[in-house]
Amino acid sequence: MHRFPTRHPRRAAVAGVAAAVAVALAGCTSTPSEAPTGEPDPEATLRLGLVLEPENLDIRHTSGAAIEQILIDNVYEGLVTRTQENEIVASLAEDYEISEDGLTYTFTLADGVTFHDGGELTASDVVATYNEVRNDETLIGHAQLAHVTAVDAPDERTVVLTLDQPDQNLLFSLTGPAGLVFDEGDDTDLKTAANGTGPFTLENWTQGDGLTLARFDDYWGDAAGVSAVEISYIPDFTAGVNAALDGSLDVLTAVQPELSPQLDGQNGFTLTRGATTDKATLAFNNQREPLDDVRVREALRLAIDHDALIEAVGAGATQFGPIPALDPGYEDLSDVAPFDPERAQELLAEAGQEDLSLTLTIPSFYGTTVSTYLVSAFNDIGVDLKVDPVEFGTWLQDVYTNKDYDLSFVLHVEPRDFSNFADPDYYFGYDNAEVQELYAEAMATVDAEESAALLAQAARIVAEDHAADWLYTGETITAVGQGVTGFPVDSINSRIDLSAVTLATP
Amino acid sequence: MIRYALTRLALLVVGLLVASALIFTVLRVLPGDVAQLIAGTQGSPEQIARIREELGLNRPLWEQYVAWIGGVVRGDLGTSMLTGSSVAGQLWEKAQVTVPLGLLAMLVALLIAVPFGVLSAVRRGRADGTAISVVSQALAAVPVVWAGMMLVVLFAVVLGWLPAQGFPRSGWSTPDLALRSLVLPALTIGIVEGAMLLRFVRSATLQAVGQDFVRTGAAKGLTRTQALIRHGLPSVGLSIVTVMGLQVAGIVVGAVVIELVFNLPGIGRMLATDVGSRDLVMVQGELLVLTGFVLLIGFVVDLVHHSIDPRQREA
Repeated sequence: MHRFPTRHPRRAAVAGVAAAVAVALAGCTSTPSEAPTGEPDPEATLRLGLVLEPENLDIRHTSGAAIEQILIDNVYEGLVTRTQENEIVASLAEDYEISEDGLTYTFTLADGVTFHDGGELTASDVVATYNEVRNDETLIGHAQLAHVTAVDAPDERTVVLTLDQPDQNLLFSLTGPAGLVFDEGDDTDLKTAANGTGPFTLENWTQGDGLTLARFDDYWGDAAGVSAVEISYIPDFTAGVNAALDGSLDVLTAVQPELSPQLDGQNGFTLTRGATTDKATLAFNNQREPLDDVRVREALRLAIDHDALIEAVGAGATQFGPIPALDPGYEDLSDVAPFDPERAQELLAEAGQEDLSLTLTIPSFYGTTVSTYLVSAFNDIGVDLKVDPVEFGTWLQDVYTNKDYDLSFVLHVEPRDFSNFADPDYYFGYDNAEVQELYAEAMATVDAEESAALLAQAARIVAEDHAADWLYTGETITAVGQGVTGFPVDSINSRIDLSAVTLATP
Repeated sequence: MIRYALTRLALLVVGLLVASALIFTVLRVLPGDVAQLIAGTQGSPEQIARIREELGLNRPLWEQYVAWIGGVVRGDLGTSMLTGSSVAGQLWEKAQVTVPLGLLAMLVALLIAVPFGVLSAVRRGRADGTAISVVSQALAAVPVVWAGMMLVVLFAVVLGWLPAQGFPRSGWSTPDLALRSLVLPALTIGIVEGAMLLRFVRSATLQAVGQDFVRTGAAKGLTRTQALIRHGLPSVGLSIVTVMGLQVAGIVVGAVVIELVFNLPGIGRMLATDVGSRDLVMVQGELLVLTGFVLLIGFVVDLVHHSIDPRQREA
């Protein structure tokens, strides 16, 4: 899934002017930070500013990072969940066991779990929910349970999943929408309301504005640190910064790198930079001439000075292969495409492509930094790059569905999505039988380390084939206000666990 | 008069019908598919096809149009494809931000335009009259977004007097908070629109100064200003009504931009969001209501004109 960028009207030029004025004015009026605040107040309300609003709240039918980010772990829970470092840990299942052949998963449910409406969680709720995902193809996560052949409840506290072949990704899939547990037979309208087991209940949702979470007093685990969380969706980046500066937010994420100096150290805000699995992917249409020639693809990659690009973007880390540092199978592949414009020109000459002209299709939300850099970098090796900024809906249709493009740029935010390079029908059009075999083997391997080694092997082949370029791995900048502790730092574009956050009121 | 009103009303209905067909067609030409957006990039073609079917997107276009317009005639604007909420309900909710914002902006515009416009006309050729004229020309050229940014930086970020963005979650049940959050956005639109309106007021006043009835008034012992206020301003008022009618469209457009800048949950922001997510039923309803509103203002302005101006009555 991609982050839905249609929600981000971006006015970089205006923001720049306002930023300059604000910095100039702030210089003469900045107030000294207030005295240290007291103890965490369990009755406090945390005010959180986010950029991306979910289209609706139906996490079972609507895909998108925004919906998972706020509802999973806070309102809905699965048998397992994942940490900020993407490690899988127990959640509604206090314990789980995987058989040696990798074909049977046995989960033991935690005690005393109740749904927000008071219903008790039993194994039959899990069986019913998981069978729905398996049987209804319109439910998100349906494909992820393809290898599950049966879901059984031998007793009230035990759930057993039976597979037809080992699936290294199954547990991870269960940390997402596919693994969330709903109350059997519940008729809550999930588009606008929720009935989960999480530490917060969904109190209200004002479409186009924000939502409020309230602490669930009968929560089975440790109670949430604040009594409520008021989430405001602020699609305009500058408006978000203003909201933090005028005191109407305790936390703001994600802050645009170019606006971050306005918040750093101002009004008690400190900035955190969090790791993500956002892969800023420069996709090559591997099926289309002249990009079906590996020399052309390599030349384009060698023309890019990744460190300079990251400096221009303002946040990020280098990534030279398809797997980011937080995912299994990561290794440093920087030797594969070092910045070397001279070699790039030689390669183009060898390929007979000295007057190359290409088009970059990019969702307009991403702004101009990346495309401007690429135009100049490619110009240096004699490649003329035209930029075609389009709306995200158009991108989905032209690039993603119809594969009508040369180069494309999009942030692929989903963790563990290496499979896209093992799928010749994906919009990259990358078709390599060896990679597909290695990937299938990695998924069917029971041992996690062995699986990661196979993935690393496949990733190196993809990188050496120059199937795409990974311009950088994204970073999330979060402005955390005074008195706030425990706000997560990493992976918060896919999951913000708010249960441990506390707020001290002055 | 009644015949004129009826003819004009028929024109309004025809205009609205043409607009509805245009809105419907243009939205269908836009690339991008709401079903695809719902399914996301992990959605299979079968899944997308099923969503399209559920939403009725696989029916012929004319059928979709007739179903929509039939609903509108019966007073049903439809339900959102994405959220399942009713278009009318959402419009009503968001109008509670946008309509007060528009009225406040109009008020600010009038408070700036009328006194200063008349003043700059009466004091033409003197330093203060020229100053008003120059400043208004400069202000009218300022982009709304930039004006908003500057006001926010000054009054919210630096001085901390007013909220920089947002609308209270409690809405108008906390009227003071709601009003405070509309002050900066209304000022932003109002100043720019007011500066434009000022120039119309100024030229209309200048014209009035030269009219016979003002001169006659002056000859009968009134001061020039008294004559202008008693006899000239009513005719100036007429042109202000006309121009303000035109400016409603400007204010609506300004609201779309300003609601994004100030993060106000109004119709403008809703429209921008819904276009992006291809929630066509929602966008159709929003555009139709906005178009209807602007057409209605034009209708009212024409009627007012017709009843005030004796020269038009004979026509």
